[in-house]
Amino acid sequence: MSIRYCIALLLAGCLTAFAADAAPKPKPAPGPATVLLPTRSPLITFRLLFNTGSASDPQGKEGLASLTAAMLSDAGSRTMTYAQINEAMYPMATSFNSQVDKEMSVFVGTTHSDNLERYYTIIRDMVLDPGFREDDFQRVKTDAVNFLKVTLRSSNDEELGKEVLYTMIYPPTHPYGHVNAGRVSTLEKLTLDDVRNFYKQHYTQAALVVGLAGAYPKGFEQRVVADFRKLPAGKAQKVNAAAPAQKPGMQIQIVQRQTRSTAISLGFPIDQVRGQKDWPALAVVASYLGQHRSSSSYLYQQLRELRGLNYGDYAYVEYFPQGMYRFEPAPNLGRRSQIFQIWIRPVDPKNGLFTLRAALYEYDKLVKNGMSKETFESTREFLGKYANVLTQTQDAQLGYALDSNFYGTPEFPQYMREQLSRLTLEDVNRAIKKYLKSDAMRIAIVTEDAEGLRKGILSNLPSPVTYTSPKPQSVLEEDKTIQAYTIPAKDADVKVVPAEQVFE
Amino acid sequence: MKKFAVLMLALAVLCLYAAAQDSPAAPQEKKVFSYAYSIDDLPNGMRVITVPTDSPNLVALYMVVKTGSRNEVEPGKSGFAHLFEHLMFRGSKKYTPEQAEEVLRRAGASSNAYTTDDRTVYHAVFSKEDLDRMMDVQANAFQHLQYSRDAYKTETGAVLGEYNKNSANPISKLYEVLRETAYTKHTYSHTTMGYIKDIEDMPNLYDYSLEFYNRYYRPEYVTMLAVGDVQRDQVLALAKKHYGDWKRGSYVAQIPAEPPQTSPQVRHVDWPTPTLPWVVVAYRGAAYSDSDKQAAALDLLANLAFGQNSDLYQKLVLKEQKVATMDGGQDMRVDPELFAVMARVKDVKDVNYVRDQILATYKQFAETLVPADRLAATRSRMRYDFALSMDSSSAIAGALAPYIALRSTPETINRRYALYEQVSPEDIREAARKFFTEHNQTVVTLSTKANSSEKGGL
Repeated sequence: MSIRYCIALLLAGCLTAFAADAAPKPKPAPGPATVLLPTRSPLITFRLLFNTGSASDPQGKEGLASLTAAMLSDAGSRTMTYAQINEAMYPMATSFNSQVDKEMSVFVGTTHSDNLERYYTIIRDMVLDPGFREDDFQRVKTDAVNFLKVTLRSSNDEELGKEVLYTMIYPPTHPYGHVNAGRVSTLEKLTLDDVRNFYKQHYTQAALVVGLAGAYPKGFEQRVVADFRKLPAGKAQKVNAAAPAQKPGMQIQIVQRQTRSTAISLGFPIDQVRGQKDWPALAVVASYLGQHRSSSSYLYQQLRELRGLNYGDYAYVEYFPQGMYRFEPAPNLGRRSQIFQIWIRPVDPKNGLFTLRAALYEYDKLVKNGMSKETFESTREFLGKYANVLTQTQDAQLGYALDSNFYGTPEFPQYMREQLSRLTLEDVNRAIKKYLKSDAMRIAIVTEDAEGLRKGILSNLPSPVTYTSPKPQSVLEEDKTIQAYTIPAKDADVKVVPAEQVFE
Repeated sequence: MKKFAVLMLALAVLCLYAAAQDSPAAPQEKKVFSYAYSIDDLPNGMRVITVPTDSPNLVALYMVVKTGSRNEVEPGKSGFAHLFEHLMFRGSKKYTPEQAEEVLRRAGASSNAYTTDDRTVYHAVFSKEDLDRMMDVQANAFQHLQYSRDAYKTETGAVLGEYNKNSANPISKLYEVLRETAYTKHTYSHTTMGYIKDIEDMPNLYDYSLEFYNRYYRPEYVTMLAVGDVQRDQVLALAKKHYGDWKRGSYVAQIPAEPPQTSPQVRHVDWPTPTLPWVVVAYRGAAYSDSDKQAAALDLLANLAFGQNSDLYQKLVLKEQKVATMDGGQDMRVDPELFAVMARVKDVKDVNYVRDQILATYKQFAETLVPADRLAATRSRMRYDFALSMDSSSAIAGALAPYIALRSTPETINRRYALYEQVSPEDIREAARKFFTEHNQTVVTLSTKANSSEKGGL
């Protein structure tokens, strides 16, 4: 049976008001919106989505949105300590987690219907009646600082490069201009009072969408909505997310770090997000050029399969963190501004410059030539069906349904099918010409010999590649063009930054 | 055609609650595997299990073959079940490997296979409209597999490569030595990869590979599992269309019985390159059963004694930090399997200490009773852990596959979990007393060769 998919904006008390509509009554304040997916599954999934995130961090308090969410999901409520919560969740084999992005903070958990009452009571109190204890606060703050200092700066070059790319495109003054976790210097100064204030201001009924899926009992959704009316009413807040105009030309930031390889990320803003006219065309282009973790896409074939330069090469039109761990993107990372991005997985440093040139060469080729009829049709067929794989789990269906609510689109697989069926090759090639501009490329590179690479880029001398196995003549011929490919960057456009200074 | 359908209620909690009011027997209806399913047997013996779910558009198609390294009974022929996991993608009379790949890609399919002691499982998840075409590709591989001598040699080379890759990992060696020490007659003495000398000989055994295919790739060994946006009638009709003409085989492997162990066994592996040392303490355990309480007691014990919430784990991993990782228990197997606890020790000088702590924990569970509340919490966690793992059609099929290979019906899951409910602290102590005896014990350690002088009498 097909899924019963409904989005309902439940106005509290609206049913009774409807029944007795004779006398005008005072209008009740709008309660939280809901996205409901009633299914037959005994697994009940919650996604409590607040339309607030790191874009709402006050200047000088970057990291506050993330820390506030962690104080709800990874800390005690007023009625239970964090240890008691963990102990209570052990026999239910469950948990409650949060994810914070620029404009969304989502709280996620799944329980078996047998435990619904107990589980719901715990998580309801965690969100509605947080404990805000000092010891929890110190722990989550230390975790946040360690995430920036240890996880991002010194143990994950790929994620580091991608996040640096975003900070190149969105300046520090822009709402998107810092990583979601914040900055080391601001995190260290944050207090529990900052968290309390952020919670009071942003955790409102107006910001909340209650997402619920599974075989929950009749009327349960109304009970949840009623409970969450305890939050302040609030007003819907929108941040100005439009990407700032990019200075034309190429800008490169090389993060210097002691590492065995060279990680490269390239990109620039595109003013199309899901639901807008040309987004499906751009999604086709990204899938063709570099479908995430797929061996059949174009860049992968050129750089990995033919040349063996690295482990994979992908392209995106939506934010996709944790790509080295995940095969499918996490939902609820809705943004009003996105970038087109190419992710070159780490290469041998001696082939770093060649690989950068190869990526730019292939990208330029795409912009110039567009897609062929054959690649367009097979990519379209793949993407239409892949939408089903993306929404395979109930939790993903709920997540995508919340995102559809955010973007104002039909349910995701249906949206993709409809849009793709209307799309023509001409639409796609027109979108390539319109949105994929080569003249404002931003590039983030993480490598050890940053100065050497900088000199190599600026000198524009040929950078031949070193292969470990024989290659066909046709590849070697094309390599001659690639190794001499001009990188149009001037001295001031190529900066070297020590890893210890990023996200400071 | 023999045909029966098992229909179980898998409806909303509401329905369960309603039923509970109607019937006093209802509480027993609260099953850990609660999806409605149907079972149909084709006349040739192939079983078809269909599990319709709410999950839209997709279907997970699993082919469960009741053949694994356990079936490799002839000397010199270990590793063939796993080799077939590779050969099955080499094409058939109707489809070249490239044509088969193209069907998969156009279906947006995610597809793979795995082999264990008792089973080989071919799995794919794809859009429901491609069920007919996907089944056609698969049915052709199952019935009309075709590979040349050259292709066969290439694939045996890939398997040797896989062995070599795995051999860089000390766990592979540790496990290999554990198996060949603890079993003397039974085919569980070799791992699923097989003995290295057999793998090296594989390129010369093309004709034997055809024999192996002829024996085990037969309808009576195979169960088709279709889970997702599908209906029984549709799956059954397609199964008949693609597998109806498949001929039943006649081969039944005679698996040698393992005689009882009579004395404790100790082995040490010198590892040529730097590694953290390992210690494994194992006992002959129980075969899978959905009716034997002692086998069920061992599963609970594994969590209570050696799981992440256990006292030993808290002590060795978190408090003293002498152990990097620790895990224990036994897999579900057709014949009695080893109950093993494996620990990766941080410092070679602590290997004996860790071994003794593990031994003491085994002993403790044979002497004292576990607190009833901890047993209840663990039982509950296992139940819900299983239930929560089934969050998509392919996850449901994946969770079902091992049970289908063992008992051919999803119902065995409910019987097994119902058994957990009946296990008492006394049952756990009895099981520990029965299985964890000295003559039933095998201890294997592994450490870097340069450090062998520090082994301290291992």
